[in-house]
Amino acid sequence: METAVSIVTFRDIFQDEAGKKSKFTDEFRDLCARILLDKQDMSRLGLKDGQKVRVQSEMGAVIVAAKTSDDDPHPGLAFMTSSPWSNQLAGEDECMPGTGIAAKVSPSDESVTQISELLQRMRAQGIL
Amino acid sequence: MAICTGCSLLCEDIELTVKDGAISHVRNLCRKGHGHYQGLLTQRARPMIDGEEVALDQAIAKAAEVLHGSKAPLLCGWSNTTLEAQAAGMSIAKKLGASICDTSPPCLGTLMERIISGSAPTCTLDDVRNFADVSVFWGSDPSNSHPRHLSRFSYYPRGEKRQKSYEEERTCIAVDVRKSATATLCSNYYFRVQPGGDGEFIESILATLDGKIPKFGEKKRMIELGTILRKAEYGVIFPGPGMLYSLQNKLELFETLLAKLNEIATFKVVPMVERFNSRGYYQLLHGPGNSLAAAAKGCDAALVIGSDPLAELPLATARALARVPLIVIDPHRSLTVDAASVVIPSAISGMEAGGTALRTDGVKISFEPIIESDLPSDEQILARILEAI
Amino acid sequence: MVSAMEIYMLLPKTNCKKCGLPTCMAFAVGLLSREKKIDECPPLIEEKKYEAKLKKLREVMAPLETASETGLIIHPEKCFGCGNCVVACPVNVAAEPTRCGVGLGPQGDKVILRVEDGVVICNNLKECRRFGPNKVLCNACTATCPSKAIEFV
Repeated sequence: METAVSIVTFRDIFQDEAGKKSKFTDEFRDLCARILLDKQDMSRLGLKDGQKVRVQSEMGAVIVAAKTSDDDPHPGLAFMTSSPWSNQLAGEDECMPGTGIAAKVSPSDESVTQISELLQRMRAQGIL
Repeated sequence: MAICTGCSLLCEDIELTVKDGAISHVRNLCRKGHGHYQGLLTQRARPMIDGEEVALDQAIAKAAEVLHGSKAPLLCGWSNTTLEAQAAGMSIAKKLGASICDTSPPCLGTLMERIISGSAPTCTLDDVRNFADVSVFWGSDPSNSHPRHLSRFSYYPRGEKRQKSYEEERTCIAVDVRKSATATLCSNYYFRVQPGGDGEFIESILATLDGKIPKFGEKKRMIELGTILRKAEYGVIFPGPGMLYSLQNKLELFETLLAKLNEIATFKVVPMVERFNSRGYYQLLHGPGNSLAAAAKGCDAALVIGSDPLAELPLATARALARVPLIVIDPHRSLTVDAASVVIPSAISGMEAGGTALRTDGVKISFEPIIESDLPSDEQILARILEAI
Repeated sequence: MVSAMEIYMLLPKTNCKKCGLPTCMAFAVGLLSREKKIDECPPLIEEKKYEAKLKKLREVMAPLETASETGLIIHPEKCFGCGNCVVACPVNVAAEPTRCGVGLGPQGDKVILRVEDGVVICNNLKECRRFGPNKVLCNACTATCPSKAIEFV
């Protein structure tokens, strides 16, 4: 079971605050590793707030917590804070695509991607 | 009174109590600034070479050695450091023939170049407070990114010509793909755009300004927006990453809108750069800057200062950087510090080191150190590297 | 936050007037604005059949007890520390026109709202326009809050 979404990144003061203290805390991870989905998309995937999802784009994948967005309905559109987690999904360009990052979201049993894993992937050789 | 270097507003009214070398109590700092100040005590970087802790002098000498031996060095970051350090960086780039880049998207570079060269009309944030009656937050959410923007300048303060301020004399408009905190404060004047739809939105505004029926968006609301813009005495647009990512290389559409608005009313554009001295970097650069994606792929060693590119950049660019020896100058542990060959810890600008920086609107702000530190400033470290290469 | 209707449902609903008000609904409104106290309803306190209702009523009214005299509640965990309320509050502006009036943080101690350690705190609530017999329903601080960190009960 999966649904296609377009991900747009946003800024969150609580995440910024945590990141300015340290990027290596659970607090920072929990504020970054989440995706806000429309109510309709949440129920289509049978998700409850806080359940894990795999977000897969052309560039990579991360496991993050799903949360119901409190914005007006926006099925097919998802929001993630701008962070090392969303950066794993972004394309080759330096500019995030204006139309959002195309990705597929599916429920997952895996645990949330840790910052150490993200760093490992960046340091993995071979792909340029 | 201290200056907060937590974002590009460089708030100057911070009152703090220092006790036993630490800040015990602070007034007027926002939540983001408070996190920044707390960083004084958390996860400070240590001098390292290849994962082994060394003396600071050794790390600086090694940095100079790596840069000197590099055929295609890259100097990147720069937005979170002082004008003095940026100038020293540019001297190093010249001496080494190195590329120099910040970590902002290229679309921001283009906008900054237009503003700094004067081809896009701009003003200071103090002008915004004193004169602006219409503020447009476009693809920006200052409540989260520049928390005191609305209270110090763009919405709530009283100004010379705006004594009745937000209650009667100011209108704020938000254009965004999501109903951000700032959009909520704009209540009825929040305009939702589809991702990538900012170009169409501009075309619709242009149509209403010409008295035509807009093709996109809710017609009635677009006409209402057109009327507010047309009647503005002093309008200011604050474009953020949302607009820049959406327009990509079609920034001229925004310039067309600005020109059109200025035929009818006075309209300025004030950028929303994130880090405390991004503006300074562009001002010293005299141009839109280079593409970091390309520079990262072409370099064989990189010096990183005033940013954490591995945390901030898309995976492809982060990978390109992570493959070369990295020299990182940073007060804190970061993703880039963890991947670095050489780590040089520095004093925090605005707390442990003084200097000058340009606020997001170009106003120069000077600051003094408020806490003693044994660590050298970015400027001092770069001066020593410059001497050694 | 609890509503007058929810409070009303937990009252005897007999309109006995022992509290000095004509109806139980009026008493509910009185409780909500904190002009009346639960103990001013004798049947509710004295009659055993209302025991469960009384217990529930005390529970729902508990958060209001922590509110300040003007009904102002601050949720520091939601606060951005943006200072919008500090600059918008008419009492703050009158106290420090050259600071709060123009967007700066206050220096003196006469203001009601100020930002300390990254979040808003309140002092001098007696100066709030919602306080006292000539109160007005000023909402400058709640209307300008980006995160619903301030509310009135």
